[in-house]
Amino acid sequence: MTMDVRPAAVDAESLRSQISDKYSEVAKDPAKGFHFHTGRPLARMVGYPDADVDALPQGTVESFVGTGNPFSFGSMKPGETVLDVGCGAGFDSLIAARQVGRTGRVIAVDMTEAMREKAAAGAREAGLANVEVRDGLAEDLPVDDESIDVVISNGVINLCPDKMAVMKEINRVLRPAGRLQIADIIVHKEVPQSAKDDIDLWSG
Amino acid sequence: MLQHSGFAGVRWGNQIDVFSGSKHESSAASFETRGITFAALKA
Repeated sequence: MTMDVRPAAVDAESLRSQISDKYSEVAKDPAKGFHFHTGRPLARMVGYPDADVDALPQGTVESFVGTGNPFSFGSMKPGETVLDVGCGAGFDSLIAARQVGRTGRVIAVDMTEAMREKAAAGAREAGLANVEVRDGLAEDLPVDDESIDVVISNGVINLCPDKMAVMKEINRVLRPAGRLQIADIIVHKEVPQSAKDDIDLWSG
Repeated sequence: MLQHSGFAGVRWGNQIDVFSGSKHESSAASFETRGITFAALKA
């Protein structure tokens, strides 16, 4: 298992642009077919209970992308404030919103406009008024210091060139003793620098 | 990285071959890429 925390030598703006283009396609045309799994089959693969998925709007489910189930470590508690970093179509945000209830809230942050629109539409369709969707980057979260009880994220940090900056930003917004529950990817073989610097491999 | 960014009590979940059967399978397999979950507390 290798943990290299140096920022990758890719142009961050170009990388974000390519990733945003890719995920806009997932939001607008989820049946197109991608190099990664999506939707209900992926949700089953990573262990979401069917009941949680069935309770979500169809559009939210079909544009789901992730690498695991952040709720496998436990549900959110009623009244908690949850931040979903890279919320995508809002799949995890809406699950969290049901768990925290009316006394809690979910802040859903994503850099891709089409995904933000889909997340907001899903929250409206589900009748979840406790979801607020914001534009932002994982490295520069539009969230106050120490204002969050739980940070969740699913398959996002691997797409960020400066992972240490993301983790420090998550630490900044969490309250003391706040927790993170994250799904992402790990590699067991050393990735050569040439691959780390290849922007096409990042965006899939 | 988690400790260096101010977290403690790290727990790791199961690893899942989330790219199996996808078009990305071959490149993911070449680096033994797996989906993983982890949890931690702000120290």
